[in-house]
Amino acid sequence: MIGGIPLNDVLLASAALFTIGVAGALLRRSAITIFLSIEVMMNAANLALVGYGAALGTREGQIIVFFVIAIAAAEASVGLAIFVALFRHTETIDVNEIHLLKW
Amino acid sequence: MAGFPIDRIVFDLATAVAVLFAGVMVVHHHPVKSVLALVVGFFALAVCYVMLWAPFIAAIQVIVYGGAILVLFLFVLMLLNVGSETRSAGSRRPVQTLLSGAALLLFAGLLLGLLRHGGSAIANGSQGPAAAEIAPLARLLYSDYLLPFEALSVLLLAALVGAFVLARREAGP
Repeated sequence: MIGGIPLNDVLLASAALFTIGVAGALLRRSAITIFLSIEVMMNAANLALVGYGAALGTREGQIIVFFVIAIAAAEASVGLAIFVALFRHTETIDVNEIHLLKW
Repeated sequence: MAGFPIDRIVFDLATAVAVLFAGVMVVHHHPVKSVLALVVGFFALAVCYVMLWAPFIAAIQVIVYGGAILVLFLFVLMLLNVGSETRSAGSRRPVQTLLSGAALLLFAGLLLGLLRHGGSAIANGSQGPAAAEIAPLARLLYSDYLLPFEALSVLLLAALVGAFVLARREAGP
């Protein structure tokens, strides 16, 4: 319990968000939407980290989430730059159309 | 806990909104609408963080995730002028059903793990509202975690330079 919140509520929400992220990454074909789904998965992990940190009474969970968010920002900037460069070459960001490395 | 569990109700409502809008993000076929749905979802997650006594994380969730990362997504979407996802050669119905099944299986696995060794094993170790103070967090970040913090600043600089080099238009010969 964190205040009046059972830890299981936090973990259930985290599991649901992670599953939605996995489903989005598997089902969608727009590279941007796949990227957004990965962000959702990271947020699900963040929620679990903050929940466990609060339940255990430590601040390490929040520290880890701080680093995760900063790295997500770095990842988003590089990833989106790759999409811009890719769009210049192929005129699409549909992952089915991009198969330069596919045998 | 006796009395009206207002904390739990607010938290559960916020998580429901977050999960709902994450679902909207996946279902929508227009990427701009997906990003805007996710903005709402991330704000709801910030409410969750406040309820879990992590106001600093809630603030950077709003500022960095809602304010910077998703705006960057929107900016790129409008730069590239990407329209709705159209049906392409690889989007076969059976494959999609199979992948949805895989995602559901993952959720079932997570639920099973949750039921077997979930939060019940953890004693009530929380410090109450004192846990929400930000100053001890800053002290921890600038003492025990100083080296990762500095490494992170180098990483962000590398990402800045990398993004610039990748997205730059090729110079003429």
